[in-house]
Amino acid sequence: MNLALGRAGITLGFAAAILGAVTVGYGLIRHRPDLVRLSRWYAGLVFLGGLLAAIAMERALITRDFTVLYVADNGSTKTPALYNFATLWGALEGSIILWALILGGYLMAVVVKFRKRLADPLVGWAIFTMLIVCIFFFWMLVGPANPFKSFSPPAGFDGPGPNPLLQNHPLMAFHPPMLYLGYVGFTVPFAFAIAALITGRVGEGWLLATRRWTLIAWGFLTAGIILGSWWSYEVLGWGGYWAWDPVENASLLPWLTGTAYLHSVLVQERRGMLRVWNISLLCATFALTILGTFITRSGVIESVHAFTTSGIGPAIISFFALIVLSTVVLIGWRGDRLRSPGRIDSPLSREGAFLANNVLFAAFAFVVLLGTLFPLVVEAINDDRISVGVPYFNRMTMPIGLTLLFLMAIAPVLPWRKASGELLRHRLIWPAWIGVGSLIFAVVVGARGFAPVLAFGLGGFAAGSAGRQVVLATRRQGWRGLIGRANGGMIVHLGVVMIAVAFAASSSYVRQAEFTLTQGQSAQFAGHELVYVGQNTKQESAKIVDQVLITIDGTGPWAPSLNKFANGNQTIGTPSVRTTFTDDVVLSVIDIKGGENGSVTIRVTVQPLIMWLWIGGGVMALGTLLAVFPGRRRNPLDAVSAPVAVEPPKDSTGATV
Amino acid sequence: MSSQSVFAKGSPIRRWGPWIAVAVIAFSALSVAAFGSRSAPTAQDRVSSISRTVKCPVCSGESVAESNVPASQEIRRQIAEQVQQGQSDDEIRSFYAAKYGQAILLTPSASGVNALVWILPVVALAVGIAALVIVFRRWSSMPQERATDEDRELVASALHPEEGVDPNDPHGEGASR
Repeated sequence: MNLALGRAGITLGFAAAILGAVTVGYGLIRHRPDLVRLSRWYAGLVFLGGLLAAIAMERALITRDFTVLYVADNGSTKTPALYNFATLWGALEGSIILWALILGGYLMAVVVKFRKRLADPLVGWAIFTMLIVCIFFFWMLVGPANPFKSFSPPAGFDGPGPNPLLQNHPLMAFHPPMLYLGYVGFTVPFAFAIAALITGRVGEGWLLATRRWTLIAWGFLTAGIILGSWWSYEVLGWGGYWAWDPVENASLLPWLTGTAYLHSVLVQERRGMLRVWNISLLCATFALTILGTFITRSGVIESVHAFTTSGIGPAIISFFALIVLSTVVLIGWRGDRLRSPGRIDSPLSREGAFLANNVLFAAFAFVVLLGTLFPLVVEAINDDRISVGVPYFNRMTMPIGLTLLFLMAIAPVLPWRKASGELLRHRLIWPAWIGVGSLIFAVVVGARGFAPVLAFGLGGFAAGSAGRQVVLATRRQGWRGLIGRANGGMIVHLGVVMIAVAFAASSSYVRQAEFTLTQGQSAQFAGHELVYVGQNTKQESAKIVDQVLITIDGTGPWAPSLNKFANGNQTIGTPSVRTTFTDDVVLSVIDIKGGENGSVTIRVTVQPLIMWLWIGGGVMALGTLLAVFPGRRRNPLDAVSAPVAVEPPKDSTGATV
Repeated sequence: MSSQSVFAKGSPIRRWGPWIAVAVIAFSALSVAAFGSRSAPTAQDRVSSISRTVKCPVCSGESVAESNVPASQEIRRQIAEQVQQGQSDDEIRSFYAAKYGQAILLTPSASGVNALVWILPVVALAVGIAALVIVFRRWSSMPQERATDEDRELVASALHPEEGVDPNDPHGEGASR
């Protein structure tokens, strides 16, 4: 039943995507709007196919239908309900179902949103492009990554359950769907970019049509990445949240190019420039999501997060090559139309700052991509095995990150076209004082080291700048000063500053040690007192949990544990984290010795300001949400500046904006 | 020159004073941060910072500090011993590189082909900045295109078929944009 339903779903999706692409493509070439308008039905069918497949798989998982091979491989009667539900995206085949479902959903949303413009060639070609992408993913489902293979379970069969790491924290239920909503969401603006190239309507129309879609995809990707690092922090137990692991990098790459695009697109909206660059960035973002899937899913690169390995690598990399090739050819073909006559008057202007932002983000993405792929390249060249790890990425990205913070401080106050030194002196003095204030504060509380303290100072400067814009906007427009793209963007900046400061502090001042303690014994570390008070063993359906009870500074007891899963041979440690606004203490169990004296070995990691990573992530998500809502529509004849005071203002802060 | 005029509104001191103060304070705070006294790293700190740069030999993509498999625990113990014996960080690292091969170190060396991983980003950034400089040069040497009266009329007739057009705001987009 589940097999039949699932197979029907993926076949329906595959067939509808192919027929849809053929029909829409034919209709567009032969100028038959009646055929092009049929896209709405095909979109619905593709979505339905994905939905059927997902429902069938969930049903199979929930009813523990082991005749489905995927369930036999990844399900178990012992897995708790939440993780059982999340097993849909716990392994390769299921995660492709989720991908196809979300892709179908976005396709459906596009068809609904543009229902009045379906016959418009721009929209038609965009839907055509999305259908092609759908064909690829549904092809994977019916072909190399078919989740609905049958299996005949022997009597009393029980599956092994998902990878133990994937059933250890509830975030598992939220992080992958968020990430996929982000990854897949970039398909929409990408499809419109391709449509713009094909139709030759490379002006600003497609940009305006998709800017909110881009922002939403970016917001989901941001949330997905932050939830992912939170998951790592709570589950992997080494006290860190970001390890520059290939899979983490794979999610960061499209985020970096996507962020660059969100900024540079403003230059095109305003000045009609940078068309080739923007299309390239967008296509690179989409291509990088596919490359990310390749890195995550093909097993060519070692990673802690690669929970599957399979033979679909060649298919994904071919699709990646197809995307890059067709984009390059299309841009070359439309080269003459993409040239824009404008010019940027001065580097010291809003658009100049966006250009600098783009160079930095591109360099950032280049470093991450190079570091991730370099071991492969070296191995191919001279058969030498090398590793590129955390120290490399930290050293290379630090100067870029600091420069970006500096730019974040300057750019928001810059006007378009040209800024004068006088204007900058006025507008930046208060942000600069806030920066100096945070610098002094950092030094006074004992922060040392050039780079982290500079990061705190620049963070304060950037926060001051973003805060200044928010304050001015709310003073001018009341609560409406918080919504809209520019205002929401400033809230996002505040979140970024929190994350940057937390990142600098936690990676610079991390302290780690191991202690072997007998019951009742205490240890002092990094200003905290730890007492080992006892042990506790819990029997849960899927695992046996051996907890070590430890008090930190008299609070607690905190209970890091070792989990033995019934169906796995792995023992997985689960850390316990004491979080405060100033620092986090992570305890993880390394060893529990039975017997008389019953000593335990624990690892203690103390890092400052970790909580601000998650708060900053929340602020970024909130800012994105505010940016998605339409801001006040300005009457085009209204002045952008506040009226000039009749008398010159007495203090320097009264400057008009 | 009286002191009043030096501090008068619009004088260089009034204009630049706050910024000079900001620069001086920031500079001194940063010097304290960079060169001020700080507690020397303990042996434990050295062990954990070295083990963060050594890859776990049996797991995928984790450092010895992160991983918890017996092999990593053993290496952590070993590093602690080596630190106790007074070996330098580099000596300890090259010991492991000799034992397990270069791939054990998470920081790629800067010799041979491997140097590219350090050089290429710098080159790429330099190219990016150079491209920006060139393009701004070209823009600034370009003659500024001005709208002709003909253009203005065209825009005006498209925007407001009946009305005339504000000469300061021919595009109807707000005068001070």
